[in-house]
Amino acid sequence: MSTARPDLAPEDLPAPPLTSEDVARSLDRSRVQRARERSSRWYLLWLLVGPGVLAMLGENDGPSMISYTADGAIYGLGFFLPFIVLTFMMAIVCQEMSMRVGAVTHRGFGQLILERYGRSWAWLAAGDLLLTNLVTLIGEFVAIRVGLAYFHLGSGVAALLGVVLVLFTLSGRRYWRWERIVLGLAIFNGLFLVAAILVKPHLEHIGHAFATFSPLPHGNFNQILLLLAATIGATVTPWMVFFQQSASADKGLTPRDLRQGRLDTITGAVLAGIFGCGALVAGAALLGRGGNSVNGFAGAGFPSALSHLAGGTVGTLFALGMIEAGAVAILTISASTGYAISESMGRGSSFNLSFREAAPFYSINVVVAAVAAAVILIPGVPLLSIAINANVLATVLLPFTLMFVLMLANDRQLMGRWVNGVGTNVLALAIVVLVSVCGAAYGIDSFLIQIHVLS
Amino acid sequence: MRQTDEQQRDEYEEEMVMFLERDQLVADRRQPLPPANIGSRAEAALWTLRIFVLIVGAMVIYTFCAKL
Repeated sequence: MSTARPDLAPEDLPAPPLTSEDVARSLDRSRVQRARERSSRWYLLWLLVGPGVLAMLGENDGPSMISYTADGAIYGLGFFLPFIVLTFMMAIVCQEMSMRVGAVTHRGFGQLILERYGRSWAWLAAGDLLLTNLVTLIGEFVAIRVGLAYFHLGSGVAALLGVVLVLFTLSGRRYWRWERIVLGLAIFNGLFLVAAILVKPHLEHIGHAFATFSPLPHGNFNQILLLLAATIGATVTPWMVFFQQSASADKGLTPRDLRQGRLDTITGAVLAGIFGCGALVAGAALLGRGGNSVNGFAGAGFPSALSHLAGGTVGTLFALGMIEAGAVAILTISASTGYAISESMGRGSSFNLSFREAAPFYSINVVVAAVAAAVILIPGVPLLSIAINANVLATVLLPFTLMFVLMLANDRQLMGRWVNGVGTNVLALAIVVLVSVCGAAYGIDSFLIQIHVLS
Repeated sequence: MRQTDEQQRDEYEEEMVMFLERDQLVADRRQPLPPANIGSRAEAALWTLRIFVLIVGAMVIYTFCAKL
């Protein structure tokens, strides 16, 4: 939606001078065009995948994998297994909208809120994101720490590893390079699936859980609500919305790429769903063997518990998976924070810009990671509790972000013929209601217990 | 020679710009979009959701801190 000269048709306007960001994006787009000309469908898909897979596998992060494993360890193979699949289907609806808005408008989520709805809403949305991302990033460093602890390495190494990784990926100053490095790392999320296979689960139990959503979780109601909210927050979160829209714009997706963008999103959700279920299945092996005490694992961690139960290989795979989950999420969540805050300030935000051209974007990427890294170095901080509550906080704040995606995706002036259909709107509104109810149920129940109104 | 360099640069830019849509160019993206007209009811609904989210968020944070 061009606003440069509304009185002239776009093709009549003289071409503005190209910036280095334009040239970098144009190089990427030239490959896409050549792939289209040669009708290389798979190569075209390879070029266009990225934001969707990264958002989904990035959300299979440390706190999420801890939540899934805790679901399995406490309740076994039952309700939560198909529930994970259901939440990823919800994620597809939300993320497809973000991708579509990014591809059609070529602008990030923060920038669009700022320009269409004003500074107050933009800053509130960015403020929420900053809070949840900081807490989640602490959870990511916890995951790396839990993984490294299995190899007898401490918090200092975890903090250093995360920050160095952020600095390394930012050093290329090209979106394409950043995306491919993170995609390469994200493949190792599959380690959770290998771990699940190695614990030799009963396939009939898995089939029964998917077919019947049972056995239903029972016992402490508040703990069920906590894990329900944490599991939703493990699949659909504000940072994913910000990230996928901004990354789609940064990558240079156009309405012509919507089909591949949808495939990218669905592929990411399928992979993340399978790997997430893998973590739950591996965790279910701990059922009845101390798995009902999540906090009991804070010291030894799930990798050690699995190692004692199913052998060193499973423990090692799970520990490496935790390191990967934390590392990939540190990169994607830092990026989403960088995009969101820079866009809300009206500043340049692209991996195709130089450090000087996008100082706030790059600085925020590094600073949020460094702050979270510093927290895990503080002795006595309840890290596992932070990791699980990070997802709950994301669930509670999510409806606000989702309403803006929904408004943008229905903005005919922006989206033209790519506005939401009725079906998408019904599904998206149902998701907003479900997420709001789950978040509120846990928040209110916990609060009333805490102030001794409920027991 | 200088003219040739400029010509080459122009040709290069012309070639590069072909691969981007007009509104993908940085110059175009820097032009702010006009503000959306959201009605008073939509605005009120957004503020209600905002307050709801803040209250529940505060409850979650309070519970988390109290359990420390």
